[in-house]
Amino acid sequence: MLVRTGLTGPFPRSEPLVAATRDLDRGRTTPEAVEALYASAEREVLALEERLGLDTLSAGYLRSPDLFRAIAETWEGFTVGSLTRWFETNTFYRQPILHAPPVRAAGAILARLPAPIRAAPARARVILPGPYTFAGMLENRSGETEPALVHRLGRLLGEEVRDLRGAGFSTFQFTDPLLVIRPPEGPRAEAVVAGYRAVASALNGGTSIAWTYGADATPAFPLLDRLPVSVVGVDLADTDPDRISEARGGPALGLGVIDSRTTLAEDPEEVARIARSLENRRRPASVWLGPGMPLDLLPYEPATRKVEVLAAARKLLGDGGSP
Amino acid sequence: MTARGLFPSQEIGSLAKPRWQLLGQRGEPLDERARGELSTADGHLGFAGPLAGVRDALLDGRSREVGAEGVRDLAALYFLRYLEDAGLDRVYDGEARRIEMYEYPIRQMHGFSFQGHVRSFDSKYYLKAAVTEEVRLERPYHVEEFDFVRTHARGEPKLPITGPYTLADWSYNEHYLARQPGWKGRAARRTAQREFVVDLARRAIRPTLAALIEHGCRVIQIDEPAAGTHPDEADLVVEGFNAATDGLDAEFTMHICFSNYRDLLPTLLEAKRCRQWAWEFANRDSPEHDGYEVLKALREYGDTREVGLGVLDVHRDAVETPERVAERIGRASKYLGDPSRIWVNPDCGLRTRSLEVARAKLGAMVEGARRARAAIENPRR
Repeated sequence: MLVRTGLTGPFPRSEPLVAATRDLDRGRTTPEAVEALYASAEREVLALEERLGLDTLSAGYLRSPDLFRAIAETWEGFTVGSLTRWFETNTFYRQPILHAPPVRAAGAILARLPAPIRAAPARARVILPGPYTFAGMLENRSGETEPALVHRLGRLLGEEVRDLRGAGFSTFQFTDPLLVIRPPEGPRAEAVVAGYRAVASALNGGTSIAWTYGADATPAFPLLDRLPVSVVGVDLADTDPDRISEARGGPALGLGVIDSRTTLAEDPEEVARIARSLENRRRPASVWLGPGMPLDLLPYEPATRKVEVLAAARKLLGDGGSP
Repeated sequence: MTARGLFPSQEIGSLAKPRWQLLGQRGEPLDERARGELSTADGHLGFAGPLAGVRDALLDGRSREVGAEGVRDLAALYFLRYLEDAGLDRVYDGEARRIEMYEYPIRQMHGFSFQGHVRSFDSKYYLKAAVTEEVRLERPYHVEEFDFVRTHARGEPKLPITGPYTLADWSYNEHYLARQPGWKGRAARRTAQREFVVDLARRAIRPTLAALIEHGCRVIQIDEPAAGTHPDEADLVVEGFNAATDGLDAEFTMHICFSNYRDLLPTLLEAKRCRQWAWEFANRDSPEHDGYEVLKALREYGDTREVGLGVLDVHRDAVETPERVAERIGRASKYLGDPSRIWVNPDCGLRTRSLEVARAKLGAMVEGARRARAAIENPRR
C-alpha cells in the first residue's frame, strides 16, 4: 500500500513560545526576541517531522492565527471582523468580512509561509482554506451569492496554486471541514466541484488534498468522491471507518487518525488495521495518514507524543514507494 | 408577583480586579493610581470598616504585611458593597478570589493532570488538564469564600460555580475514553464523555454543593458556558446538572451564554432542579435582530421557570440607557407572558469592562428595571 504521512494543520506552540507571545502582548519582551523563538520553534517542528519520516513538511504553521487570516489581511475586498467560535471547539477565529468581490494579492500567501518550507518547497504541504468553508465562514457583504462566491474563491485559489507551483511547491491542502459539517447540495455542491476544478487546472502535476473534519463524513461521500482532487481526507474521530464509501476510482483516501480532542495516544496497530481494511474495500491509489483536526487543539507535549503514531503505523503498513 | 416585586436584579459573574488588589496580592506597594482608587472607592462606599487595618496597611505601603488573603478579603468586601450600592438584590463578591473558572476547581480534585497551554485565539491561551484517573474530590471548595460573603453581604448572596459539563468539556478525556473498547470514534467518545460528566457531577460538584448548602448557601448558579459548544450533547448537560443537584435543597439556576438556545431545547428543560435560566440576550439584540425572541420557545414548550434576563452587553463599553433596559424587559415579558418570572442581570460577568463602565451599566440596569416595574404597576403614568 502506498502510504503518505503529514501534518494537516498548525502544530501547537511550545510552552516557551506561549510565554514569549504572552509577554509580547504585555510589553515584557521585544518583537525581535519573539521572532527568534518562532524561528527556532519552526526548526524544531521541522526536525520532528523529518525524524518521523513524514512525507510532507509544514514547520508547524506556528504563526498562523487562523485558517483565513493570511488571505483576509492581504487580499482586497476583505476586512478582519470579530472573534467567532471555530465549529465545536473552544478556539476562535476572526471572521473575515467580504465587502466586495475579492482580489488576490500576488505573493502574499507565499510571504506568510513558514521560512523553512519556503526554503525547501518540494516536500512542503501548503495549507489553504477550502473554497466552501471559506465562503461559508466569512461574513458576505459583497452581494455575491454563496455558490458564485465559492466558485470565485476556487478560481482565486487556483491562481494561487499556479504561482506557488512556479515557486516549487507541489502539495496543496485545502482545509474544508464545512463539506462534512454542512454538506452542500444542489447549486452549492456544483459550485464546490467547479471551485476545485479551477484548482485542479492549475495543479500541473501537483497534489491537491481536500481535508475535512468535525462531523461524520459518510453522508458527504457522494460529493467527496466527485471532487477533482488527488486526496479526500476524513476524520476517523467522527467518521466510522466501516461506513466509508466503497466507491472506487475516486480520489485517494486521507485518514485523520489522530484525535486532537484527547491526549490519549492512538494505537498504531489499530490505525494499521483500519487502513488495511479500507484498502481491501475501496482500493485507493494511496492512503494519506495525518491528524484529523489540527493538532493545535492540544498542548505541545501531548501533540509531540501523539504524532509518533504516524511513523509507527506507517512502519506497520510498509512504505509502498517514493512520493 | 414575587415578594420582592417585579424584576429583581442580580449579578452574574466576575468583575475586573482593581489595581490595588492586583498589586496588594503580589505584596507590591500601591502606586499613586492604586492608592487613589482605593481611597476614592472607600470614601464613596465606606466598605473597609471591618477591614480598616488592611486598607490602612495598603495605603501605608505595607502590602507585604497584609498578605494576599487579607487583600482578597478587602476586595471581596469592596465588590459586595459595589454591587449593593448599584442596587442589586442578589449579590456576590465579584469572584474577587478567583482568577478563572476552570483551573481552580480542577485543582481541588484528584484524577487530573495539567497538560499545558492551548491557544484560544491569536496569542491568548488557556491551561488544560486531562482526566487520567477516576475523579475524586480532595475537598469541597468555595466554602470559605461563601462564608465570608454570607457574613458580610447585605443583599441575598448567590454563589456561582462551574458546572460538570463545562469542566468535562474543557478537559481532555483520557481515563474514561481509554475504558472504551476498540477504535475511539464518535460513539466511544460520547459514552466516555457521559461517564466523565456524571462522575464529575456526583463525586465532585454534588459534595461541594452539599457543603455549601450546609454553610447556609441558598441560591447557587451553575455555570455551563460550554453547553452550546456541542448542541447534540445537551442531554449530557442535563444529566450532569441533575446528578449534581439531585436531592439537594437550594435554589439552583443555570447560566449559559453565547449559545443558540433553540438548539438545546427542549432537552435542556429536563434539568429538574433548575429554577431559573440565566442566559445572555443583550449581545445578540440589535435593530436588525430581536435577541429576546428565543424566549418564545420557552413559552411554546410550556416551561414556566424564572428567567435571568441578560439586559447588559458585557462586550461593549457603550452603557445601555434605562429606557433601553426597560424596553428589553417589556419585550421579554410579552414573549414569556408572565413578567413575574423575570430577574434582570448582565449577560455574563462584566470583568472585561472597567469598573467605572460596569458600575454605570449596573446602575442603568437597576433603573431600567424600576421603570419597567412602574410601567406595569402604574400603566397610566
